Amino acid sequence: MARRHNRLAALLLAPLLLLLCGSFFIPVARILVTAVADPELSEALPRTAALLRGWDGQGPPPEPVFVAIGEELAAALRDRRIGRVAQRLNFEQSGMRSLLLRTARAGVTSRAALVALDARWGAPETWTLLRGAAGPATGLYLLRALDLVRSPDGAIQPVPKDDALYRTLFLRTLWIALVVTAICVVLAYPVAAVLAGLPPRWSRIGMLLVLVPFWTSVLVRTTAWFVLLQREGPLNAALVALGLVDQPVQLIGTRFAVVLAMVHVLLPFAILPAYSVMKRIDPALMRAAASLGAPGWWRFLAIHLPLSLPGVAAGAAFVFLLSAGYFITPALLGGPQDQMVASFIAFFMNQTVNWGMASALACLLLAMAGAVLALARGLLPGVLSGRFRA
Amino acid sequence: MRRIFAWAVLLFLMAPMLAVVPLSFSGSEVLRFPPEGFSWRWYVAFFASDRWLLASRNSLIVASAVAVVATLLGTLAALGLHLARFRGRGLILALLAMPIVTPSIVTAAAVFFAFSVVGLTGSLVGLVLAHTVIAVPFVVIAVLASVQGFDPVLLRAAAGLGASPAAAFRRVMLPLIAPGVATGAVFAFATSFDEFIITLFIAGPGQFTLPRQMYASVREFLDPTICAAAVLLFLCSLVLLLLSEAARGRR
Amino acid sequence: MRRLGLAAVMIALAFGASARDLTVVAGGGPLQDHMRRTLFQPFAAANGIAVADTAYDYNVGPIRAMVRAGNVTWDVVLVEAPDLVQGCDDGMFERIDWSVVDRQKFLPGGTSECGAGAIGWGVSVFYDNHRHANGPASFAEFWDVARFPGRRAMRRGARMTMEIALLSDGVAMADVYPLLATPEGQRRAFARLDQLRPSLMFWSGGQQPIELINAGEVDYAFGFVGRTANAIRAGAPLALRWETLLYTYDFWAVVRGSEHTAMAMRLIESLTDEAPLLALSAAWPVNPVTASVARNPALLAANPLMMSNHVDGALRMDTEFWLEHGSDLEQRFTAWLNR
Repeated sequence: MARRHNRLAALLLAPLLLLLCGSFFIPVARILVTAVADPELSEALPRTAALLRGWDGQGPPPEPVFVAIGEELAAALRDRRIGRVAQRLNFEQSGMRSLLLRTARAGVTSRAALVALDARWGAPETWTLLRGAAGPATGLYLLRALDLVRSPDGAIQPVPKDDALYRTLFLRTLWIALVVTAICVVLAYPVAAVLAGLPPRWSRIGMLLVLVPFWTSVLVRTTAWFVLLQREGPLNAALVALGLVDQPVQLIGTRFAVVLAMVHVLLPFAILPAYSVMKRIDPALMRAAASLGAPGWWRFLAIHLPLSLPGVAAGAAFVFLLSAGYFITPALLGGPQDQMVASFIAFFMNQTVNWGMASALACLLLAMAGAVLALARGLLPGVLSGRFRA
Repeated sequence: MRRIFAWAVLLFLMAPMLAVVPLSFSGSEVLRFPPEGFSWRWYVAFFASDRWLLASRNSLIVASAVAVVATLLGTLAALGLHLARFRGRGLILALLAMPIVTPSIVTAAAVFFAFSVVGLTGSLVGLVLAHTVIAVPFVVIAVLASVQGFDPVLLRAAAGLGASPAAAFRRVMLPLIAPGVATGAVFAFATSFDEFIITLFIAGPGQFTLPRQMYASVREFLDPTICAAAVLLFLCSLVLLLLSEAARGRR
Repeated sequence: MRRLGLAAVMIALAFGASARDLTVVAGGGPLQDHMRRTLFQPFAAANGIAVADTAYDYNVGPIRAMVRAGNVTWDVVLVEAPDLVQGCDDGMFERIDWSVVDRQKFLPGGTSECGAGAIGWGVSVFYDNHRHANGPASFAEFWDVARFPGRRAMRRGARMTMEIALLSDGVAMADVYPLLATPEGQRRAFARLDQLRPSLMFWSGGQQPIELINAGEVDYAFGFVGRTANAIRAGAPLALRWETLLYTYDFWAVVRGSEHTAMAMRLIESLTDEAPLLALSAAWPVNPVTASVARNPALLAANPLMMSNHVDGALRMDTEFWLEHGSDLEQRFTAWLNR
C-alpha cells in the first residue's frame, strides 16, 4: 500500500519538479558554471587555444601559434565572431581589443609580421594572458569580484587601490542587510508580542495593519517613500513645521532613505512568524510562573523569549536574505554610495553584457546567503508557514 | 508603553500608503504636500495612458496564467508530498522552498541566462514560467497546510463504497483542500503581480508589467499619475488580501 | 481544472502571435510617437506592408540573447555607437547593404559597417536662468565653485564625465582621448573630479537633471541637450550653454538573422531620407545625421535649439576609446564614487 502511495506521490510531484529543474535548479547551477567558464577564446580561435594549452609558457610561443592566431583572427573578423573574444580579453587587460582588431584587419600570419605590427606580440605578458584565457575555466571573474587579480607570473594579488570596489560592496551589502534585519527584529518583537496578547478583535485589527502593507506591491511602497521623501514632500514639510530643520533637507539619495524604506518593506516578514509563534505560547505558563513569584523580566527571559525565539530567528533570517539581494529600494532611493551587490549584477547583465562577472557576483551573493541560511537552518520552515497562520 | 510603541509601528507600516492617497488627488503637477486643490485628473491620465493600460493588461494576463499554472502544479505536488512516505520527503519540501529563499537577483540572473539560450526571454511563456517558480512554493505550503490531518484512509473508504478514484477525490479530498488551493492561488497571483526584478531582465521590451512601468515612471517622469497608479495598485492588493482572508475563512 | 489548463494554453497561444510584422525598435517616448507618424507609417503605406514598432531602454542584452537563441523578433533597432560597433564585431547586426542605403548622404562619421546614422544627441551644461542670470560657459567655469557657488549635477558614469574633467583642466579637445588613454590622464581626470566632489550630485535617468534643477536640488547641471531643449520649448526658464557640448550619433541597425533583412535595409534607406526626416524634424527637432537635413538652412533657422546648429567646435565622443577603456574606467569611476 505504501509503495502504491509512493508511486502516486512521485507522479504527482513530477510535473512541478520538472518545471523547477528547468526554470530554477538548472539555471542556478548554470550560473555557477558561467562564473568560471572561459569559452570566448576557444570558441573564436579554437586552434590557437589548443596550441596555447599545449605550450609550456616558457619564452615566446612556437611559430605555429603565431600562424594560427593570425589566420584565426582574420577569419573571426570576417565571420564576425571576434567581438566576444575581444571583449573578454579587453576586460582582463585594456588595450587588447584594439590589438586583436588591428591584427585581424592586417591579416598577418607570422611571428615576425605580428611583432612588426605591434610590439606587444613579442611580449611574454600578452601570451601569458592569452594562455590563461584559452579555457576551459578561469578564476578571473571570481577573483575580480573579490578585488583580486592574477599577476603575469601567476601570483594572486590585490587590484590597485583605485580599482578596488567589490569588497567594499559586499561589506556594505552585508552591513545594510544586518542593520535592516536588526531594526526589523527590534521593531517586530514588541509588535508581535502585543498583538499576540490582545483580545481577538483587536489583534485582528492589528494584524490587518500588518497584512495590508505586506500585500501591497513592493514597488508601490517604495514609490510611496520616493514621493514622501521629496524635498517638497510631506516628511520634509513635517520636519520644517516641527522646527527640526530650517529648510527642507535632501532625503532621496541617502542611506537613511534606503534603510527606512527597506525596513518598511521587510518589517511584516519579521512580524508574521514572530506573531505566529508567540500566539502559540500558552498564557497559562506565564501565569504559573507569576503565581510562583517570578518577576516580570524573569518570566520574559525564562519563558517568553526562548519559546518565541524560533519565530523571531526565522523572521530575521528571512529579512536578511531578502535584503541581501535588494535592488529596487537602493536603485530608487539610494545614492551612488548606497548601491548593493544586486545593482552591480544588473549592471553587468544588462549594460556591459558581461555574464561572467554577473555570475561571479551572483555566486558570491548566493554563498553569503547560503552561509546565513545554514545558520538559521531548522528555523526556517516556521517562517514559511508563519506567512499563512498569521 | 509597549502597546503605544506597537501601535506606532503599525501606524508607520500604514502611513506611506495613506499619505499617497491625498497626493493622487492633487490639482497641480508638482508633488507638493499638502496637495493643492482636488481633481481626478491623474486617474483620468492613468486610464488615458496607453503605457499604463498595456502594463495593466500584461500584469493581469501574466498573473492569471501564473495563478493557474502554479495552483495546478502546486496542488498536485502538495498532494504528492502528503501521500509520500519515502525518505526524501523532507528534502523535496526544502527544494520546493528554495526559490523563495534565494535572493531574487540571483534567480533573475540565472533565469535570464538560461532562458536567453533557449529563446524564452521576451516571451509570455518565459515570464509565466519564471514567475511560477517563485509563486509555486506558496501554493504547496498552503495546500499542504490544508491537507494536514487528512487521513488517506478516507479515500480508500470512499473507494470501498464503490466510488471511482476520480469521484473519491472530487467528493472527499477537494472540498477539504479547496480553501488551501484558493489561498495558494491568490498568493500565486499576488506574487506574480508584484514581481519586478525577474521581469526587468527577462521580459521583452513590449512586456511592461505594472511594477516595471512604475519603476520606469519613477526614474523617468515623476508626476502625480504615479500616485494614482500606486493608489489603484494598493486597492488591488486590498482586494487580494480580502480574497485570501475569505479563502482562509472557509477553512 | 482542465478548463483552467485549457484557458492557460489559449492565453499562451494568443500571446505567441502569428507571422511577424517588420518591427522597428527605438527609445520610446514622444520622439517615437512622431517617428511612427512621419517615418514608419509612410514607409508601411508606400510598400503595402505593416510596420510594428516597440520601445526599449537601449540595453542590448536582449538583442544579444535573441540572436544567440536564433529567435529574432526585432528587425531594425536604434542603437548607441559603442553597442553598434561591439555588436557588429560580434555578428549581432547585419552589415548595411550600401547598394540599398545611399552612403553618401550622411554626415562624416555618420555610417559604419553595420549602422546608418539616425540622430545625434549631446550633453551640455544648463541652469535655471531665473535663479542665475549668469552661469558657467565652459567646463573650467563649471568647476569654478568660487565664481559659481552651488551644487552641480553630473551623470553617474565614466563616459562623458571623464572627458569633461580633463576639459575643465585646460586640456585641448583634440588631446582629451589620447590623454585619457594614459594612466596620468586618468589620474588627472579623477583629481579634477575629487576637487568638485563636495558640490556634486549624480543622476542616472535622462530626465533627472531637469528635475534636479526644477526642484532646486542643484544649481548647475550637465545633461542631455534634447531634453533640456524640449523643456525650454515647453516654457521652462532654462539657459542651455552650447559652449560645453559633447555629442555623438545613434545608428539604425538590422538585427542579424532577421527574416525581413531586405525590407529592413529599404526601411533604413527611407528612415534616413530627406523628406521623411524633414517631416519628423518639423514635428520634433531631432538632429538627423543625414547631411542635407542636418544642414538645411530653413530648418536650422527655425529651430535655434537644434543641436545641429551648435556642433561645430564641439567634442564628438570617441566610440573606439570607450570600447577599449570603458570597462576599466567605469569600474574605476564606480570605485571612486564609492569611496
